[in-house]
Amino acid sequence: MTKPRHSHVLGLITHLAKQIQEYWFLFILLLWQWGNLSPLWRGVAIAALVVWFLAWPITKWATLTYIVTPDAVVIHSGIFVRHQLHIPYPRIQTVQRQQWFYLRPFHLETLKLETASHEDGQPEVRLPAVPTSVADTINTYRQATTKPSIAATVTTESAAPTAIPQSQGPSYRITHRALTQFALTSTGVIPLVLVLLGIYGKLPKDWENQALAQAAHYALPFLVGAIIVVLLIAWVGAYLWVLIRYYHFTLTKTGDQLETVKGLFQRNTVTAPIDRIQAVRFKQNILRQWLHLQTVQVLLASKAATDDDDHDLVLLPAIAQDQLYATLHPFIPWVPATAPQLTDFVVPRQARWLLNRNALLVVALPVILLCWLWQPWGYLSLFLLPLAYFQGRFVARNTGGRRLSDELVMLQTGHVWTRETFVVRRQQIQSLEVNFSVWMRPKHLAHLTVNVRHGNRKQAIELRYLSAKQVHALYDWYTN
Amino acid sequence: MLPTSHHLPPRIKRIWGYSTLGSFVVGLVVTALLYWAHLGWHWANWLVIASAIVTLIEPIVEAGLIPYRYRFTRYQITPVAVEMQSGMVFKKRLAIPIARVQDVTLKAGPLLQWQKLTQVTVATAATSHTIEGLELTVAEQLREQIMQLAQEARHD
Repeated sequence: MTKPRHSHVLGLITHLAKQIQEYWFLFILLLWQWGNLSPLWRGVAIAALVVWFLAWPITKWATLTYIVTPDAVVIHSGIFVRHQLHIPYPRIQTVQRQQWFYLRPFHLETLKLETASHEDGQPEVRLPAVPTSVADTINTYRQATTKPSIAATVTTESAAPTAIPQSQGPSYRITHRALTQFALTSTGVIPLVLVLLGIYGKLPKDWENQALAQAAHYALPFLVGAIIVVLLIAWVGAYLWVLIRYYHFTLTKTGDQLETVKGLFQRNTVTAPIDRIQAVRFKQNILRQWLHLQTVQVLLASKAATDDDDHDLVLLPAIAQDQLYATLHPFIPWVPATAPQLTDFVVPRQARWLLNRNALLVVALPVILLCWLWQPWGYLSLFLLPLAYFQGRFVARNTGGRRLSDELVMLQTGHVWTRETFVVRRQQIQSLEVNFSVWMRPKHLAHLTVNVRHGNRKQAIELRYLSAKQVHALYDWYTN
Repeated sequence: MLPTSHHLPPRIKRIWGYSTLGSFVVGLVVTALLYWAHLGWHWANWLVIASAIVTLIEPIVEAGLIPYRYRFTRYQITPVAVEMQSGMVFKKRLAIPIARVQDVTLKAGPLLQWQKLTQVTVATAATSHTIEGLELTVAEQLREQIMQLAQEARHD
């Protein structure tokens, strides 16, 4: 495979669709201005649109070629400015393959390669509609370069390399029950409610007035009923959305790579090397905390998995809390096999009220302003006060952590009703920060911030109001 | 706390002083513009008063804190880590292992150049941290040291 190859003609559809998706408003603009344009300018505008929406994507498709060599993937692209991109296999962080159902009969898929470069936005390489064999070849070469002994035999490239026999590791498939629970407890409801409210805002005013006039007779039941309907629709929407994306989720370990496959209409396959994992995160919103359901994600130095929660690759979407460690340990060897007690970094009992106080202080000003300026509805904002108080309590209760070995720490935080637990290796901690104010010093308290890499940015893991002794001990461990 | 840590060069106080003066001048200009707007377009006069108060108070506080800012800002380079310490009321201790350092940047604006000082920014794969001012020679030495140690650490 050393000759430059074009992607399949079907890839053209992707290019066209993308162009329309990004610039559809130009059509609207033209329709809107149609009446004001002279025939000459109408002709010019149509010609420009044809070029922009047809000729440009076609040339883009025609000029995009790729070569898979034994050492690197080389991409040529560009019309006026020729790009030549050379990605050696050891630099690739993740290989992502997305197969829409209509591409399945043709054995085609969209291939995305990500490196850890600091370029934001798009993945480094996006090849729409290439044969599935391309990704297989890349993965084979990639595994070969990490094992020098085998690399020698493969780099004497004769034909397409045959798959190197890999030790097939453990695999995991999500159960229907877990997936259903996961989908039902998704907080995706909240954005959907906002969208529905947005649509409501766009409805014609006289509908609303009619409805309100009728509703005036039974105002409260109507209001409650409407809220329940909106919530139900949003909930079902969020449920289906999660179900479609995580349909038949599987995780497998092959050699030193992890692979996740998921999705109903679009099968999405992501391959990531285990030694590139920056940190492992267990995440649990308060609903899932009641159901003892955890989500496991890995933080990577690239932005693979942009559709996943927080853009992080999901390893186990929904796993019962008591099976988590036993399930995950075979996939990532440095995650402990049993649940550790996170008792070293906890908020001391006498410091817990500080978290309540801070949470209350955050909402105090808005509440005062609302109560003062927007009567009588502003008084509803008083409900924020108990909410803030319990949020503070939630943080205090969920903060935890422990140094498990000389190479490993576990840190747990509670934010906005979500508990997050991080498993971080010492070598992946980019920097460590200890903060304390003069008032915290006599109380022997300190904040701890551990920075790890996350995509192209940092993930600051912040634990507040811990015992200063423990925090400084961790600092000393880190600097020695 | 850090037995072998260093203070920034004392001349940094002069730089901070000048930058305080700079913010005073900016404050004066803003106040003058607001006064002008008050005369021309009848903007509320409390804007002018508030701006004048801020212009007066802010540089005084900033200037008054310079000795403390100087006393509480420290840095240290050990064979394994770069450490920084700052803050009087809100204290901060920061550690960056040499092995995690990706690059070191020296940067100096006109004021720092004039005093032959430079800012040193140490960047990791995720974060970057700045030492506000060092002697040019010390900074270059430091950069060599960090890069040297980083090289060695990577060979491990």
